[in-house]
Amino acid sequence: MVLRNKKIIYAAAIGLALIVVFVPFPSLTLKGKGAVRGVMAPAERGASSLWQRLSEATAAVRGIGGAVEKSRELSHELVRMQSELNRLRDVENDNIRLQRVLDFKEASSHDMIPCDVVSRNISGWWNTVRIGKGLKAGIQENRAVISPDGLVGRTTEVAAQTSEVLLLSDPACRVSAKLGRINVFGLVRGTGSTLKGHPKARMEFINKDAEVKVGDEVVTSGLSSAGGEFPKGVHIGYVEKVYRDKSGLFQYAEIIPRATVGLLDYVFVVSEAGKEAK
Amino acid sequence: MKRRILMLLTIAAGALLQQFLPTWPIFGGMKPPILAAMALHYALRRNNKDMWLAVFVAAIMQDSLDLGAYGPALLAFPIMGLLANRIRNEVFSDGLVSQLCFGAIIGLFTAFITLLLYTVTGQRPFHFGLSVIRLFSAFWLGMTTLPLVSYAISRMEAALPKRRGYGWQ
Repeated sequence: MVLRNKKIIYAAAIGLALIVVFVPFPSLTLKGKGAVRGVMAPAERGASSLWQRLSEATAAVRGIGGAVEKSRELSHELVRMQSELNRLRDVENDNIRLQRVLDFKEASSHDMIPCDVVSRNISGWWNTVRIGKGLKAGIQENRAVISPDGLVGRTTEVAAQTSEVLLLSDPACRVSAKLGRINVFGLVRGTGSTLKGHPKARMEFINKDAEVKVGDEVVTSGLSSAGGEFPKGVHIGYVEKVYRDKSGLFQYAEIIPRATVGLLDYVFVVSEAGKEAK
Repeated sequence: MKRRILMLLTIAAGALLQQFLPTWPIFGGMKPPILAAMALHYALRRNNKDMWLAVFVAAIMQDSLDLGAYGPALLAFPIMGLLANRIRNEVFSDGLVSQLCFGAIIGLFTAFITLLLYTVTGQRPFHFGLSVIRLFSAFWLGMTTLPLVSYAISRMEAALPKRRGYGWQ
């Protein structure tokens, strides 16, 4: 009898595990993950903060302690300035277009939510980092995440207190982009990282007739990416190599994204208010 | 009860450590399988109930803190724990050679199950070269992680006060 009960319990456990694995319950999965991440969040923040203090203390011992805080403030300011500059570029372009067409959409500035990176991906199968803010701070899925160097990735699996950021170097991250110099559109997709740990990405579906040059700047196009809203003109990287697609219909370019994100970094999530006013 | 709480806290600390460790591009971005090693350590040394507890908590933690749907750890860890628990009386769990072998097997097995699930469900694009690198890396990382994790847990439990009721002696 006991043996039979055991078999039933094993069968039920295996059946449950198989259902969980093979039948997707997106909302249930997110709730379950949110609960575990919520429990782990204080420990992650604590460990991250401890690590940060240790790093800053080490820097202070080296005699550049005051520069750490100053550098942080300046980096915050730099991101704001870059965002403002991007916005002004868009306004300028809009003005030029307005001279031709009278239908005009006003561009609005992007609200940004500053967040600390609290941990990395646990398995290494995904190129992600976790940030210490979530739904409660107004973060939503598929929002652009930027750093002083440019686009970092996009938000995904947003829980109440934390959010996952899918980095630009991950093959699952796709962003609508354009070449700044010639205004040609394409799709940027992550291709992993180099042996030195630098992120790699590729811009695909570039018009075959476009004159793409090594060193061209790649920026976000502002078109909807994966259902999210991305701001226009955010720097992604520079073209390193250009190839023609085997079919001959398109070109693609290997690009070097400038933004890398570490465990102690802070990033900005572009909020809902970043949408263009219509 | 106390030893179970300690076991769960150790697993939580292991999850935290696994997250904080950096990834090395030379290993295809793979991380040392600390949670899998912990689950195996407890499966080889504890009774059936503790084994299931350790295995499920470690699996749920790993899958919850990772991106994508639940599955890879939730499928791999119980199989691994069940098999380890079956053969625990026939192997010398504290021997270095056994640990190196077990470590390599769990590393490879969890990586293979993860790769299989991600490919079948279409969550990750399949890339042959990268997959081979990752499987080899998981093999080596598992081999180095299990002896270290096992040694650390044994030392920690040995350092605790020996009082009745704790049961970790």
